[in-house]
Amino acid sequence: MIEIKNVVKTYGGGESEVEVLKGIDLTVQDGEFIVILGASGSGKSTLLNVMSGLERPNGGSVEYDGVDITTLTEKELTLFRRQTVGFIFQQYYLLPNLSVEQNVRMGADLAGNKDYKQIIEAVGLSDKLHKKPSALSGGEQQRVAVARALAKKPKVLFLDEPTGALDESTGRSVLDYICKLQKELGFTMIMVTHNSNIANMANRVVCMNSGRIAEVYENQTVKGAYEIGW
Amino acid sequence: MVISVKDALKLFGVSIICCCAVLVCTMFINYYIDLSGVRALVASDEALILYEAQLLTSKVTVLVTGGCLLATSVVTLLYYVRHFIDMHKKELGILKAFGYSNTEIALRFWVFGLSVLVGAAVGFALAFAIMPTFYDLQNETKLLPDMSVRFHAEILAYLVVLPTVVFSAISVVYARYKLGKPVIELIKDSLQGDKKRRVFTFSRSGDESIVKDNVENDGIKNECNASAHKPKDMPFLRKLSLSVLSSQKTLVFFIWFASFCFSAMTQMSISMKDLSSVMMGAMMMVIGLTLAFTTLILAITTVINGNSKTIATMRAMGYSQSECANAIFGGYRPFAYVGFAIGTAYQYGLLKIMVSFVFKDFADMPSYSFDWKVMLISLAVFVVAYEGIMLCCALRIRKIPIKQIMIE
Repeated sequence: MIEIKNVVKTYGGGESEVEVLKGIDLTVQDGEFIVILGASGSGKSTLLNVMSGLERPNGGSVEYDGVDITTLTEKELTLFRRQTVGFIFQQYYLLPNLSVEQNVRMGADLAGNKDYKQIIEAVGLSDKLHKKPSALSGGEQQRVAVARALAKKPKVLFLDEPTGALDESTGRSVLDYICKLQKELGFTMIMVTHNSNIANMANRVVCMNSGRIAEVYENQTVKGAYEIGW
Repeated sequence: MVISVKDALKLFGVSIICCCAVLVCTMFINYYIDLSGVRALVASDEALILYEAQLLTSKVTVLVTGGCLLATSVVTLLYYVRHFIDMHKKELGILKAFGYSNTEIALRFWVFGLSVLVGAAVGFALAFAIMPTFYDLQNETKLLPDMSVRFHAEILAYLVVLPTVVFSAISVVYARYKLGKPVIELIKDSLQGDKKRRVFTFSRSGDESIVKDNVENDGIKNECNASAHKPKDMPFLRKLSLSVLSSQKTLVFFIWFASFCFSAMTQMSISMKDLSSVMMGAMMMVIGLTLAFTTLILAITTVINGNSKTIATMRAMGYSQSECANAIFGGYRPFAYVGFAIGTAYQYGLLKIMVSFVFKDFADMPSYSFDWKVMLISLAVFVVAYEGIMLCCALRIRKIPIKQIMIE
């Protein structure tokens, strides 16, 4: 379980100080799929960064099963990221000179996962194992990023606008893959998006506005990627 | 325009190498010309042997040091031009899209020659500052006639003006060549756009695995079928290390060269204490260390900057600082130590040739043999310095903000 208590995050100092997160409280249960929804500048990406340990907040705590990651040393934080979280970024960030297989091994080797080829198969790229990212389409590259993140067997998967750089059809396909795998593997999933339709796929939706949580609601009926409007 | 004089002045690595090259060459060429002018005053046989030996030493020094540093300057300059184009692909692509021709853009690269002008001018001035002392030390025995330092305009033209013009032209021509690719290829994301794309596809024919290696270069697809082995299944960190090495081959040369300079110049400057003056030794040591550290730090900085996104992604995934550092820098270590070994052999060979052939007829010439003690001390200092710099780089990795990859 992830418990975020009174998280505050500011950037800059003095007169130019900007408070991006203004006392956020949120609890995420294991295996839950949460979407953080908000317009540009609402603080949703900063919240994701703070929750995943990429950034330290200026105040408050972020607890994973009772352990406050904001008090961890840099070394402990690295170990935390290694053992607990996975990321899927909007721009994929695949290593261009390495093959699909090697990019996925980037995650798999961290978890000592020898069965990473099954994940590549699961995302439908087993025939492109030895291709470089530049030889793949945008959707295929994002699926490599999905496989890379899942190959390290994360307990919590963070996704920052994972379909932001994809067209509608490819975006649906990628989301479908991710949701299917989440149901199969049961990891917690926290996704940041500005697309309110994608929110219909989550168990719970956290709406952010000006650094605060404006609304939290649960979806009575969770929809699949092909059921939502885009 | 994208390229400014400020960009050119950032090429201080080229300036330093040029400075060293022009310093050494100016001193020895000037000395050669001045010494040639007093040939008629050389009377005794012993003086004549010294005279001939010093002329030959000057020639060898200019050819070996000047040639080596000239080649390094060219490689460094070309590397900088390529690096600049890679870093500014998008801006250059937009200029092309707006209708600027390749030649119009490439012509702006002449400013890169200014780094040569700055380095060469400083080297030339330094040489004239040092030369009076240098002349005295070259004639410590007073066997040769007294000479004063004379200014030769042709040296200024050949070592300062000409290199500036030639290096500016090289920059323009090379930039013109590098810019000759489709606009879209320049504009697209540098992370995904490789100059050469190697695409491996596999087909099975009986028990044999056939690899088709399609190399796409500037839109031209050259396909060659070759029986080859399936890519080795190796751990990610090992594969990354090899990938970093193969993607930046010029940096392998720079790191090799830095180690070579350190090894050759430090050992030579100490080993030749009985063969030459303390000043020559000290000068050689300073030049060697300057070249070694400048080249090494420039290469390492480029490695870090070129791999900052990879490092940030790795750290976000949970790779430790030392794992990142080993994967990114570890592959260069063998080349550094090979450079040291070759530098050791080079300095021994050069001094042996000087003693055995150039100065063989000179009386009171001390014997020369390989100095193990100096080599071991130099190696120890090299290990400490190299590993210390690598440690600093590992610490610098920690400062790369992970968030950087999420906000772009």
